[in-house]
Amino acid sequence: MYSLNARLLISVSLLLLLFFGATIIVLDTAFRTAGERAREDILDGHLMSLFAVADVTPGGSLEMRRELPEPRFSALGSGLYAAIRNDGGDSVFESRSALGIDLPAIAPTAVGREQFDRLELQDGTPLLAMTLAVNWELGDGRLKPFVFSVYESLDGFNAQVASFRQQLFGWFAALAFIMLVSISILLRGLLRPLRQIETEIGEIEEGRRTSLSKDFPNELTGVARNMNLLIDSERARSDRYRKTLDNLAHSLKTPLAAMRSLSGDAGSADADRFNEQIDRMDEIVRYQLRKPGSVAGKHLLLAPVPIREETERLVNGLGKVYRDKAPDIDVSIDGRASFRGDTGDFLEMAGNLVDNACKWCRHKVRVTIKPAGESGLILTVADDGPGVPPEAREALLERGMRLDEKTPGHGIGLAIVRDIAESYGGHLAIQGSDLGGAQFTITIPPPGA
Amino acid sequence: MRLLIIEDDDTLRETLAKQLAGEGFAVEQAADGREGQYQALEYPVDLAIIDLGLPEISGTDIIRAARDAGKTYPILILTARDRWQDKVDGLSAGADDYVVKPFHFEEVNARVSALLRRSGGWASSVLNAGPVSLDMSRQDLKVNGESVELTSFEYKIIEYLMVRAGEVISKTELTERLYDQDFERDSNVIEVFIGRLRKKLDPENTLKPIETLRGRGYRFALERNQAA
Repeated sequence: MYSLNARLLISVSLLLLLFFGATIIVLDTAFRTAGERAREDILDGHLMSLFAVADVTPGGSLEMRRELPEPRFSALGSGLYAAIRNDGGDSVFESRSALGIDLPAIAPTAVGREQFDRLELQDGTPLLAMTLAVNWELGDGRLKPFVFSVYESLDGFNAQVASFRQQLFGWFAALAFIMLVSISILLRGLLRPLRQIETEIGEIEEGRRTSLSKDFPNELTGVARNMNLLIDSERARSDRYRKTLDNLAHSLKTPLAAMRSLSGDAGSADADRFNEQIDRMDEIVRYQLRKPGSVAGKHLLLAPVPIREETERLVNGLGKVYRDKAPDIDVSIDGRASFRGDTGDFLEMAGNLVDNACKWCRHKVRVTIKPAGESGLILTVADDGPGVPPEAREALLERGMRLDEKTPGHGIGLAIVRDIAESYGGHLAIQGSDLGGAQFTITIPPPGA
Repeated sequence: MRLLIIEDDDTLRETLAKQLAGEGFAVEQAADGREGQYQALEYPVDLAIIDLGLPEISGTDIIRAARDAGKTYPILILTARDRWQDKVDGLSAGADDYVVKPFHFEEVNARVSALLRRSGGWASSVLNAGPVSLDMSRQDLKVNGESVELTSFEYKIIEYLMVRAGEVISKTELTERLYDQDFERDSNVIEVFIGRLRKKLDPENTLKPIETLRGRGYRFALERNQAA
């Protein structure tokens, strides 16, 4: 889904991840490097003290003048070990701490230069080793090579690094969480005016409000003002349109009525032909002035039509008109049905169908209103009249499409109903009814479906 | 019967008024909403024909005002834009039927007769009371199945009395409702017509269909044959 909120949160999260990730890597590397440098300095000191206590007899064999000063060399398994090897690689001295531990031999790369190595004991313990190869000058001027090595286990150091890392992650995770929470709170506040606009538009749609309120931040006042202008002009346009059509209809139809009332006096064949022309003009006016009415009424900001009320008004009104015939009109309305549009359009569709049913029925008319899916509208009007034969149904709906081809005197009501239904994305269908007559069904899907 | 036509188009209103007068109705006319509302509320009216698209005060408002004032006479609306919304609004406001412009006069005439008959409590267009039978659509009066020849004034009187069968109708009301305002009023004329009607309907003077209530008026005295 497309949401400003989600987009902002996702991009901020990615940025935080990148930023904190880089920081963690830099800090971790720095800590580890500094730690290792310190370890190397310490090992260097131990190597010097090893030199200090070692001595070579004139015979060329090594002997230790005294104990190594660092007590960890004497404690078993202390993690600090020393070893001196001859040029054959054989160990000539090992500190007491290395008792029972097979210290790996280190081959020196050059004489007289300290070198560091990372090794592992056989049990996998990581070691840092410092090695120095020397040529010991004997009394007679001969040189005797020895390799001095000190080892320190990295277990403690690694544990230290791990705990540092853990703390680092912990703190940064907490920090990132706090930042995300505060950003989303901030966002909620920043986006509130947008939500308010959304709510107010919803209220306008439901008819509980006529325009957007004025108290929006500077950045949105323009949008709100334009929105209000749009709503106003849309309403004004729709009203003006309807008024124009009303005036036009009135000013065309009244003269037609006057002409007809005048022609009635003649009572001749000419009068009939005259009346026929009036009928044609009348139907053209009716059809053309009705058709765009639904388009004028159809815009986004329309409240749902109170279907139940309007249907009852219609049925009561028709009850008066058909008082002599007194058809039995059975109305059932499902409350979930809704029609978002012009009340006039709803009445036009229902009025034409129910009026037709009353006209053609013998006694029974049934009006059923149900939702099309979640909401929307399915309006079914059935009667027990003569019905419409299947082969004539299509033609009945087509009538009114080509005015010049029609026979005068036939209503164009159904064509109007079909046009309105289609302008709302719906359709009109004719079937046989279980009451024995015709059944007309208008289906209008919910908006946006 | 007094009809009130409220229609702003002069040609249409005058022609309609002339045609209805030709059918034996007394017709009042109003050319705008204000005048129409005044007449609808203040004049004795048996039926009003009201155009919905009126200047000053809309037809729907006049209907509502008349019903609010307790007027019960039938109202026929004329509508130019035959939108169902307008029809339903008019009917909900209190109108009883509608005719869409441009209409045939016969249609208006038929609706008017039907509305008047219904307002008198008759469900069918043939009024039967005892041996007397009045076919409103054919303006034909029969007694015991025999047609009776009537002048148009005689017909208007018997139709008015029969539609209101059982009610007492004063001489003044009868005079007022049968003549246009401008017509010279002479209550003796009514007495003469009533006398002639009695002779034509009841030559042997056994039926006594029209009762005279001294000082109050006349009443069609025969029982209705069908349920009201």
